[in-house]
Amino acid sequence: MPSHGAKRASAERAVDPRTPAESGSPGAAGSSGSPGAAGSSGSPGFRLSRRSLLQGAATAGAAGLAATALGAATASPALAATNRPSAAGRPQSRGEAPASSGPIVVHVRNAKSGDIEVFSGTSQNRLRDKDLANRIARAIG
Amino acid sequence: MSSHREAPEISKDPVADSTDVYAFVSPDKPSTVTLIANYVPLQLPSGGPNFYEFGDDVLYEIHIDNNGDGQAEISYQFSFTTTVRDPGTFLYNTGPIDSLTSPNWNRVQSYDVAVVSGGSYSTLGTGLLCPPCNIGPLSTPDYTALAGQAVHSLAGGITVFAGQRAEEFYVDLGSIFDLGNLRPFQNLHAPTGLLSAMAGVNATNNLNVHSIAIQVPLSSVTISGHPTIGVWTTASRQKARVYDADMGEYVNAGPFVQVSRLGNPLFNEVIVPLGKKDLWNSLPPNDDKQFASYVTQPGLAALLPVLYPGVFPNLAALVASGKPRADLEAILLTGIPTGIVPGFTNFTGSVLADMLRLNTTIKPTAKPNILGLIGGDPAGFPNGRRVIDDVVTIELRAIAGVTYPLVVPSYKPDAAAGEISDFVPAPPAIGSPPISMFPYLGVPYSGYNEPS
Repeated sequence: MPSHGAKRASAERAVDPRTPAESGSPGAAGSSGSPGAAGSSGSPGFRLSRRSLLQGAATAGAAGLAATALGAATASPALAATNRPSAAGRPQSRGEAPASSGPIVVHVRNAKSGDIEVFSGTSQNRLRDKDLANRIARAIG
Repeated sequence: MSSHREAPEISKDPVADSTDVYAFVSPDKPSTVTLIANYVPLQLPSGGPNFYEFGDDVLYEIHIDNNGDGQAEISYQFSFTTTVRDPGTFLYNTGPIDSLTSPNWNRVQSYDVAVVSGGSYSTLGTGLLCPPCNIGPLSTPDYTALAGQAVHSLAGGITVFAGQRAEEFYVDLGSIFDLGNLRPFQNLHAPTGLLSAMAGVNATNNLNVHSIAIQVPLSSVTISGHPTIGVWTTASRQKARVYDADMGEYVNAGPFVQVSRLGNPLFNEVIVPLGKKDLWNSLPPNDDKQFASYVTQPGLAALLPVLYPGVFPNLAALVASGKPRADLEAILLTGIPTGIVPGFTNFTGSVLADMLRLNTTIKPTAKPNILGLIGGDPAGFPNGRRVIDDVVTIELRAIAGVTYPLVVPSYKPDAAAGEISDFVPAPPAIGSPPISMFPYLGVPYSGYNEPS
């Protein structure tokens, strides 16, 4: 029976970011020549993104970026997002908001590779977009 | 403790910290099984003005494996919502709370219950009220009646309760965490052997927990040919959590991920090494094969002969032999197969999984023995777990070798193995003992009566 917390844990491990699947198209998504590109591990953007958990909707500037992230994930096949539905064992039982209307949290796991996670409602999208990661890094200065 | 603050990460997250799980055929209603999961450990009854409650942002679940695969075929889910009726006062209540709908109760918690089974999700109840915490005679003058109003009957013969109850698990924490000292035997303890033996002290006495209890028909949780069910609880949080300083609250988003798990008492606490406890909490039982070596070669079995020199010579020899403890593997990871204990089995198959295993065909005993199966009472731990079962003593004695003859009849346990306990000659008196009806845990201690 696939619908419970135990199964969710298994699902989480299958996409464990510690062993990221190279599902994206770095060449298409990346913009290595753009200002602030995270090509160097010593760049401010890289340092910030490694430990950053960017709050989306609740703060001004980042909200737009988060919305961009969601839009890009659905609009651009080159981003090759890993789109996981809400927890298999937890349908939207408490009137949880659709993905685009509640808080959105963007986690730039690695600005250099463009590895980004987007959380909204009970869903999580994962995408690889160097340009977007760089823009988020620049947004937090 | 059973599982209170048993791992580094969850010890910092009390509302998601599972402390005990119970699963037993209901003694007063033997056509049903009662499942209880306790959370929010070590509550000082006077801990106001913001008294203890469940986490609105935590998904609590009680799982049942009914085919032996170490995965849940049935999961009961509990989600809580807190409402503040009057945000203009600092008070938890503005007068006596004589009913769950009393306008004097200012911070009210309710919950939804659902079941996930066979790939489908069904709501069992919504907006079910929890009782308030037991504050004192002026605020909660008839707590027993108040808590009774929070026992909800649902369709399908299901009964639920969620709220504060008395802690019924007992253990001498202060001693046992002091280099494995057991006060009744501390005259034999290597580092502290100059101390005289003395009675154990129940460190959890007069403390409360928050309990989620559900009673369901046996017929709804078992399948033909598999009378034994595996039971465990989990708590999950959404993956992303950000503190919104403008709102003064946390914002949560993303899928729920498991942060706490509990099946057999003391498994993560005593068996799993420190460096893997947080990992264990995140995994399902069917991943427990990776922890099997800690069961078959338990660290505590090696420690006992060192801590109590000369007291456990046979155990020391067994440990030195390197022979795996198949008895402990059966008790904790597979259930006990047929033919080991005459007339008894709770074997669920070869999948190694930490779950409470309850053979539901074994009827409740009229005069239960708190030592359960090793006390000759097959209706008690490790056949499920009743509220009264002295699981610390049972597991201490099992690890010390009393159950090894079940698989190696020629092994002679040390005399001390059958005596070891942190309470000798009898378990401690409990201020608010278990009650004989659902939810079986005693009335929580009140802050007024137990202020410190």
